Amino acid sequence: MSIEDLNKAKIPIVKIDKKLEKFKGKILFPKKLAMANELLSKAKLPKEIVQN
Amino acid sequence: MKYHRYEYSTEKDLYFFEFESIGIKGKIKKIVQYSEMSVKGFYNLGFGDYNEITKEIDDEIITNNGDGLKVLATVVSTLYSFTGKYPEANIFATGNNEARTRLYRMGITNYLEELKQDFLVYGLRKDEIFEEFIVGEDYMGFLVTRKNKDIKI
Repeated sequence: MSIEDLNKAKIPIVKIDKKLEKFKGKILFPKKLAMANELLSKAKLPKEIVQN
Repeated sequence: MKYHRYEYSTEKDLYFFEFESIGIKGKIKKIVQYSEMSVKGFYNLGFGDYNEITKEIDDEIITNNGDGLKVLATVVSTLYSFTGKYPEANIFATGNNEARTRLYRMGITNYLEELKQDFLVYGLRKDEIFEEFIVGEDYMGFLVTRKNKDIKI
């Protein structure tokens, strides 16, 4: 598949790389995750999501 | 997607994605991670530069590699992959600081029309209420969830 085809595809073609398994179980962005959890804990969720 | 993006790779669970930014400063490896949050069903989207020599990841760096739009298009594209596997997931994203959050806002604005075809897109206002994303509004964070949960790739 060409890059042009790849760019047109809405659901991308995904290549599996076993090297990425090395990150398994690790939090790579702990500061951001903590900040996100803090924001979400105080937030009023959209009704469409609460209903789900 | 109407914007060009980089080809990327992932591992079998699709929690981690990797691609190479190619620009004026050369090749820079980027990592995207979807991390489970403390609220069930919510995942935080994090991304940053990966230094293969030091093995360090930096999500505060301003890379200025001249390909910001393409990088953002690639990150947005991982949303389609991740939620293709986990259609019930709600994805939350925020920047480390206001400037970075504004950058995310600009990124979402660029892809909003396309994103809205498949996702509900919300912004977290300063009064801690989510609203449907409005272009030009200032937000603390962003939330996206698939409209059609039946998709599975």
